[in-house]
Amino acid sequence: MQRPIFKPIGTPIEELDTPSLVVDISALEHNLEAVHGFFRDIPVKMRPHVHAHKTPAIAHLQLSVPGNAGGIAVINVSEAELFAQHGFTDITLSSPVVSPSKLRRLCALTHTVKLSLPVDSAPGRDILSQAAVANSVTFDVLVDINTYPPRGGAEAGAPSVALAQQVSAAPGLRFEGFTTVGGPISEGSPDEMIVRDKANVQKMLDTREMAERAGLDVAVVSAGNHTHDAHVIASMAGVTEVRSGAYPLIDHRHWPHCPDLIPGARVLSTVISRPESGRAIVNAGQKAISRDMGMPKVDGRTDATVAGLNAEHGILDLEGDAIKDFQVGDAVWLLIADLNTSTALHDYIFAARDGVLEAVWEISARGLYD
Amino acid sequence: MPKPYRPATGTPIEELETPCLILDLDALEHNIGVIARLYQDADCKLRPHVKNHKSPQIAHMQLRAGGTVGGVCAAKVSEAEVMVQAGIPNVLIANQVVGRDKLARLASLALRAEMLVGCDDSQNASDLSAAAVAAGAEIGVLIEVNTSMGRAGTRVAGDAVTLAQHINNLPGLRFQGIMSHQIIDGAPDREARFTKGRADMQVVLDVKAAIERAGLPVETVSTGETWSYDVAPTVQGVTEVQAGSYVLLDTSYAYMTDFRIAAKVLGTVTSIPRPGFATGDVSIEAMASAKGLPTIEAPAGVRVTRLTYEQTFLEFDEGVTVKAGDRYTLLPAQEDMMVNRWDQYIVVRNGKVEDVWDITARGRVH
Repeated sequence: MQRPIFKPIGTPIEELDTPSLVVDISALEHNLEAVHGFFRDIPVKMRPHVHAHKTPAIAHLQLSVPGNAGGIAVINVSEAELFAQHGFTDITLSSPVVSPSKLRRLCALTHTVKLSLPVDSAPGRDILSQAAVANSVTFDVLVDINTYPPRGGAEAGAPSVALAQQVSAAPGLRFEGFTTVGGPISEGSPDEMIVRDKANVQKMLDTREMAERAGLDVAVVSAGNHTHDAHVIASMAGVTEVRSGAYPLIDHRHWPHCPDLIPGARVLSTVISRPESGRAIVNAGQKAISRDMGMPKVDGRTDATVAGLNAEHGILDLEGDAIKDFQVGDAVWLLIADLNTSTALHDYIFAARDGVLEAVWEISARGLYD
Repeated sequence: MPKPYRPATGTPIEELETPCLILDLDALEHNIGVIARLYQDADCKLRPHVKNHKSPQIAHMQLRAGGTVGGVCAAKVSEAEVMVQAGIPNVLIANQVVGRDKLARLASLALRAEMLVGCDDSQNASDLSAAAVAAGAEIGVLIEVNTSMGRAGTRVAGDAVTLAQHINNLPGLRFQGIMSHQIIDGAPDREARFTKGRADMQVVLDVKAAIERAGLPVETVSTGETWSYDVAPTVQGVTEVQAGSYVLLDTSYAYMTDFRIAAKVLGTVTSIPRPGFATGDVSIEAMASAKGLPTIEAPAGVRVTRLTYEQTFLEFDEGVTVKAGDRYTLLPAQEDMMVNRWDQYIVVRNGKVEDVWDITARGRVH
């Protein structure tokens, strides 16, 4: 368990124990309004993928701002259980489940939660069907379609339609629609990614049309991982929901793609050494801010850069004014490159407004991998 | 959140819910034994670094095995608190401790355990002194010397001498000696390790000599890492080694063939959507990947090609049969970052669960 020195509500934020994960509530509210507002008056809805923050308090805020789908997406069974405990009743899993013990847990969850489960192969369909029948429940199933870059998922077109028909015919299963996951944002320019993503989603829409021609009812067409171009995907006729994770707090990898959003999560660190004039060491390393998907950045400074991130230390290169500004004991704000892997490191989010601590939120789904 | 899942002792590992972090007790005991045998009769002793395993249980095993200074290293005050609370009598925070609240916590620990801390700054030394005096405690101080990290630490011997004199004059502090971290690139052979290790340690010993010429005794020279654990006992003047990675090991230390990888993650294959490609349930968050992808220990013929937030992407050779529900075992590329993302070790021997240990200092980054 993380054990910072807790400070009372109302404490100026730079007096918090460091390193700490701090969320700006005004930025969060701005981002929710900006994204959900777009979805408010169109038939397509936003289904928040809560894995990026793992925090029920933020997920509840997301569902309180109209424009959402009324439910959330999670990765695995233990996240579904955790969010069900926190009052969420409509949950989509985005990874297939095959283990007998986990299938029993999912069957138990269906009594309180509307679950949607992905399937991408005939054996996967059989496993789900058998578990549903054995436990006298019905699973809602989305056929997961593989697009670019290659990952899991059935191939678009005829193979996915055939799988959908098999799901539809399988006892204990109800075919609900199709799902896919958009590509990473690490390849190409924002415009190139939009072209790629539209082509991916079009494959799903073409598959939908084939399925309907074959007599299947397609209620859901869900496009995942689209923080960077949610509005573009939402404008494609036939899509029913868009899943995004990073938009409430927007990390600096996604920010260039969504410049109207405000980065809402930062790590507060402290300078603990100034061994050379051009170098400062801060007390946030890879155990406080991840570098799995890229280096953090020093917020609000162009004269201080993160040159290295060791396990326990951040190594900053300083130039210009930063050389005199950064003293031992000073606060340094780090912008997060990747929310998903950074929220995996903390137990609490310190939520602030106007630079003052307003709430402490538990990252309740941290460490839930099964 | 602590999880309700705790497999019963005797559970075969094939029946564990996945993903899970398993600790191979035979490998752990082997690694601890290698170090203990080398250091038992050496002048130089081991000070095991607990930031790698974050478990008081393992720290006690390391100290009981012998060959140590009777204490451990920690990276942060909050990590040291876990160890002192669990009965570890002596902790070196091998790092700078900055800020009034943290210094007060360190001083409070020094009332209950022997506490040592790194320092590279005269104002920080004065702040340490004030905190120790306020608590009525004594804190031992090791000056951090930079050798090859380019991180914290004094850069020239003269600065270390001045700082040592300053610390020696401050109430509540005991000038204890010097310390340094080192780094080596790639997969060096034994000769390269010895050459680099000796050169780095000589930098530290030169600082020791300079401080002693100024009339201050340097009781402790704390330096060396897992990659130089066998170098330090051959270098006259090094009193203790801060090794941590040896106890769990990872694939980045494959060249350290005396040790075995003890912490691994078990996963389950979730789908084979097309020939030669499978997905598994171990995510990037469960492994960490800044130092590279994990390696498959079993089954043979299967490779990890990518980790996503949700899954492992696996490729397998023609002729290899993989089906949904099959298990796979991952060896980490970076054990401490992996361990820091888990709440418990499932401790196994001979294919069965023997115990479950809390990773008590997980997330203790303060």
